[in-house]
Amino acid sequence: MTKKLPLSLQDSLFVGFCATLLVALTSMLRLKLGISGHSMFLMSFFYLICYGALGRFGSMTACGAIAGLVAMALGVGKGGPMILLKFVLPAIGMELIALLLPLSLALHWRCVILGIAGCIAWAGKVALTNILAGMELDVVLIQWGMSVLKGGFFATLGALLVPPVLTRLKAHDLLHRDKF
Amino acid sequence: MWVSCRRSRQRIRGHWSRERRETAICSLALLFVCVLSACAFVLPAYLLLPLAGLNGLLVIHGLLRRGSIWGVLKLGLVQLSITLSLYLILYGAAHLAQGAIVVARIILATIPGWWLCITIPPERIGEVLSTFLPTKWAFVVAASLSLLPYMADEIREIYHIQCLRGARITPRALRNPRNWAELVYCVLFPVLIQLLKLSRQMAIAAQSRHFGLNQRPTHWHSPRDNND
Amino acid sequence: MTLLELKGVSFNYGSQLPTVLQEVNLSIGSGQCHCVSGPTGSGKSSLLNLLAGVLNRPHEGEIWRNPKLVTGLVMQDPQIQLIRQTVGAEVAFALENLGIPAEQMLPKVQLALRRVGLYLRLDTPVNTLSLGQKYRLMIAAQLVCEPHLLLLDEPWAQLDDHGVSELLIVLRNLIQEGMALVLVEHNASAFSDIIQYYWQLETGKLSEGTYTVKDAPSDESPIWRSQFNHLGKVLVSAESFDFGFDGSSVLFACPQGFQLRAGEIVALVGDNGSGKTSLLKTIAGVLSLRQRLPLKVLGRRPKLGIYGAELGLLMQRPSRQLFETSVLAEMQFSLKRFELPKTRASQMLDELQLSDLAELSPHKLSYGQQHLIALASLACLCPKVLLLDDPLAGMDKDYHGKVWHLLQSLSSQGTAILLTSHRHIEHRAVSRQLSLRNGQLTEDPMEMEARYVG
Repeated sequence: MTKKLPLSLQDSLFVGFCATLLVALTSMLRLKLGISGHSMFLMSFFYLICYGALGRFGSMTACGAIAGLVAMALGVGKGGPMILLKFVLPAIGMELIALLLPLSLALHWRCVILGIAGCIAWAGKVALTNILAGMELDVVLIQWGMSVLKGGFFATLGALLVPPVLTRLKAHDLLHRDKF
Repeated sequence: MWVSCRRSRQRIRGHWSRERRETAICSLALLFVCVLSACAFVLPAYLLLPLAGLNGLLVIHGLLRRGSIWGVLKLGLVQLSITLSLYLILYGAAHLAQGAIVVARIILATIPGWWLCITIPPERIGEVLSTFLPTKWAFVVAASLSLLPYMADEIREIYHIQCLRGARITPRALRNPRNWAELVYCVLFPVLIQLLKLSRQMAIAAQSRHFGLNQRPTHWHSPRDNND
Repeated sequence: MTLLELKGVSFNYGSQLPTVLQEVNLSIGSGQCHCVSGPTGSGKSSLLNLLAGVLNRPHEGEIWRNPKLVTGLVMQDPQIQLIRQTVGAEVAFALENLGIPAEQMLPKVQLALRRVGLYLRLDTPVNTLSLGQKYRLMIAAQLVCEPHLLLLDEPWAQLDDHGVSELLIVLRNLIQEGMALVLVEHNASAFSDIIQYYWQLETGKLSEGTYTVKDAPSDESPIWRSQFNHLGKVLVSAESFDFGFDGSSVLFACPQGFQLRAGEIVALVGDNGSGKTSLLKTIAGVLSLRQRLPLKVLGRRPKLGIYGAELGLLMQRPSRQLFETSVLAEMQFSLKRFELPKTRASQMLDELQLSDLAELSPHKLSYGQQHLIALASLACLCPKVLLLDDPLAGMDKDYHGKVWHLLQSLSSQGTAILLTSHRHIEHRAVSRQLSLRNGQLTEDPMEMEARYVG
């Protein structure tokens, strides 16, 4: 499934649209629900959709990078370059783990593992900030653990919803990209 | 005729440099913000007070420009309460000051970014960042941003259509996580299908206008004169 | 001079998928205007994409292109094609991609805009233009590369009559200048003034002639007579009101109010952007304005979701709502949610003679079939009020008949139906017509001259 070819313009646009949708929904849900950790639900869902629909190496990282740029351009969140890291780091984490996963593993399991990997990377960004700020390691680890638990629930939920969506897209012949 | 040619050339040059000036200011502001955020982590504790003073000026400037600092304050309060509680439990009251300094650093790293988004229009930031991107990705970012209102309308419309069809996706129904799957199947899934179609059609539209032919496309400069 | 020639060209999107074009022969020379008509989804857009040379899949047969040929392709949806914020930047996009130096762009952009009759400042924001202006802007964005052949994808469907007449002037001038035009159109008669060669595309085969759609029913279809005593009961009523979005000026006024009675089919006709869709959404409770309208639907003020199965709204491009794995499941979805008998779905499919589609994926259906299934899934709820936004857009003749059959059967059971269109609807089943013209919503006497809906 992972091919090392550059993304075509059509695939790149799909990645960009998914990323923009991710950012839009993240900011809408933040305003309506106010639950933290829900962003992991959306991130794991959309990154895994790009992974499954396009099957190209780099599609998740591209999605994360575009999401970060779009979030900066839209002024989502507290602003600043931090938001770029918030979207990119989970994507990079998921991309690296995806390289290691055997393709023979069932799609469900791959998605869940990647979702959790993304969550760990996401929590890691917060941990990194805390370490740079001089926080004691114990406190960092506890906060990291709390983030992983919070985000892990949502990330797994998002990841579990991806295989049925991908299966439907394939069954309806919608992933036959040229059809559109 | 020569005079009018020279005048119009000067006018064009004047307009170009205004755009270039704005881009330069935006790039400098980005750099300034990155440096300031980095200082919050790197500077020793005794220099944090002057840094806080500088950040205070940024906050005043941001508030004068009608920005809302509530988000940053909320983040700070949440982080302060969690961190101080943990420091109290693990290390005792003597180390609370240390915990407070840690949180102060985090807030001081966040304020410059907040200020940036208020002072510089977001599209400018997007433009500046896009100059570092390869052509294809700069186009993708621009296209995604310009399509965002349309995408938002599509999601809203599909959501309303499915609500009317009886789908359990009203805000009240969504409090139950079991209904989130319904949201994904009847709203996100059709939206994804639309995105697949859009990306295909937009790629064709761009290619029909020779996108991708040149590695280095040129750039249009808008003259702010009347079209004659 | 011959610009392009197709000889025995066949094409599909994948070996498992149906053939889109079969043995197509076509020759295009400069100054010629060709029109290819056919039902929606018959492959007209694919043919255009093939002519423009933007399809990536291989094809069978021969395509000869004049070595100097430059083509311009104007697609249907302005959303896809308009990517810059200002008029000047939009037209200049193609020049940027060709690497034309910035100093040389201005005269080319100005010339292109002049050729389409758009006399606007170059920094005019694109989102302030009317649909007709946007369409001409898209043409200008292609003309800037000085193409020899211009390909237009279904311009009529999105333009109102004013937009079409402006477009005709532009196209006539382009043909006189020697440009070749290929139009694909659902309704060729709108451009009959300029078309020289008529083609029709049906089941992948291109032949001479025009594909037409008539909406007048054939003699066999009966006029449904009302059988129920609740016919005539007012289901939707509005007193006089002014309609405008929050924070904007009034879009239209309805000085006499309006009513919808059980069992009648009312057409609401108005130009694009006049407010027809917004009015439908307000009636359904989807759009809520701060300034509440004096509107009562089924005895209550409209709010999203309060009517359940009693109110149905079919918005434009209804294929968007399809998500289930099979057509039957799609039709049963609402029945399940509203706890109505699921057998209604298969009964409806039988009635529409579409039972063989029951197990297919909704996304593998043709455009017309998808449209009809979306409407049928609403119809099997037997709603009391049915609101349809431009339900006949892009329908081919087979599905026209089925749609009217369905609407008439519903209205005979007491459903009040309100459907919108940007053109007059000439059909016996329509009992009244409301028109949104010049900012006023009023009732129209029915017009007797025959006008076709595409």
